[in-house]
Amino acid sequence: MSTARSAAILLAKELRSEFRTRELLSATIVFALVIVVLFSFAFDPTAAESRRYGPGLLWISFLFAGSLMLNPSFARERLNDTMDALRMAPISPFAILSAKMLANFIFMSLVEVVLVPVFSVLYNVSLSGVMVPLILVLVLGTIGLTVTGTVFSAISSHARLREVLLPLLLLPILTPLLIAAVEATASLLVEQPALDRTWVALLAGFDIVFLTASWLLCDYLIEE
Amino acid sequence: MKNFENLFAAWMVVWAVFFVYEVSIARRLSSLRQDIESLKQQMRGR
Amino acid sequence: MKVRYAATILVAGLIFFAGYAALFMAPDERTMHLIQRIFYFHVPSWMAMFTALSLAFIANIAYLATRKSKWDSWGVSAVELGVVCCTIGLATGPLWAKPVWGIWWTWDARLTTTFILWLLYIAYLLLRGLLDDPEKKATLSAVFGIFAFLDAPLVYVSNRLWRTQHPQPVILGASGSGLDPVIGKVLLLCVLAVMGVMLLVLIDRYRLEQLRQEFEELRMEYETLNLEPSSIAKERP
Repeated sequence: MSTARSAAILLAKELRSEFRTRELLSATIVFALVIVVLFSFAFDPTAAESRRYGPGLLWISFLFAGSLMLNPSFARERLNDTMDALRMAPISPFAILSAKMLANFIFMSLVEVVLVPVFSVLYNVSLSGVMVPLILVLVLGTIGLTVTGTVFSAISSHARLREVLLPLLLLPILTPLLIAAVEATASLLVEQPALDRTWVALLAGFDIVFLTASWLLCDYLIEE
Repeated sequence: MKNFENLFAAWMVVWAVFFVYEVSIARRLSSLRQDIESLKQQMRGR
Repeated sequence: MKVRYAATILVAGLIFFAGYAALFMAPDERTMHLIQRIFYFHVPSWMAMFTALSLAFIANIAYLATRKSKWDSWGVSAVELGVVCCTIGLATGPLWAKPVWGIWWTWDARLTTTFILWLLYIAYLLLRGLLDDPEKKATLSAVFGIFAFLDAPLVYVSNRLWRTQHPQPVILGASGSGLDPVIGKVLLLCVLAVMGVMLLVLIDRYRLEQLRQEFEELRMEYETLNLEPSSIAKERP
């Protein structure tokens, strides 16, 4: 079976099993909301401060919520021993990995679809006129987050303390992504919004580097 | 001059860190060698 | 054995001579005077760190390609040395900054990058600590090590771009002006001294790792033959 087809089938399985209960998705959305709300209690920002720190807040909440959400990706398989079944099936390791990456991307995007409007309402940040570039930034950032996050979920699923380990591994690696995404988003929320091309290029570069690395190293992630 | 204190502290930091690290390695090396010897003896004993 | 003694004596000599040169032979800097001499230990520790981490990257790739445990031993040893050198750099930096800038720390590009790299490679060591199976430990930490090394230039670039948009303290003369040839020569001497120390300690760390493996194999053999755990076997760090 070709990689693309097996990945598609696995993707369908991932989506089906999550949408059956939707518990991970809801928990992640709520967690991200909690961070967004806590920020206003902790910092009590003025309107100008909200616009200044908003992008940072948004991306921090995505990163933290994402670290939580990405854990079960591989941990679930380990619990139910379904990893062995996947390994023995005539599916390439990259198909397994990319199916999970795509599934996580979709889940994370759903979280963002809820969070971004909520954020714009709570902090009075207007998003009209910048939706398209904003979506581009969100997509590129989420790709980076889910690609690296899925890889590290695979790695940490073998280890003890995996819930703590995953953010510990993931967040330092993601600092370039965080900086780039925050700066790119910030450039869209100012008085004269203009998408900063440099940051978008950095985001794209980050995605390409880690997607390629994941592809090259996927065998070692999936093996016994 | 107070700057000399900082300079000296930096000098000490560099060598102290390497030194402490090397000492910890050397200690572990020698105790491991001991363990290997005892283990080999145990195996010969059986 | 003899090579090792010779190397140790050579490095000891280098340290002594480099220290003397840094403290007494190098010219006095106009604005910073004495404190500027930290630069003679500070810069070499970065270079040693970079060397160690590059060696680790090569070892990680070599392990995944060959599955020979010696590459895993080189990998963890090199990362540990890299973290040690990074710690030295991060510790000596503020000791220079306080008298010169008046502050212990600032989030400028280079400092932030280094701090992130420090965290990244500590995460590598933590990952190894939390993995029990030796083969998995070697494989997965090699993968993470590769990701970490690939991330390093991205961290540097993103911090550079970020910090050029914000005001920051100007670093005077710390980045080897190179105009004065004496400074260059003294710096080279100090780089050789610190690198020498780093490499010697690296080799010792590697030997420790190899010995540990030898012990584990022996212990396994004992337990298989005798079907009971050896009394010598204990958890060692």
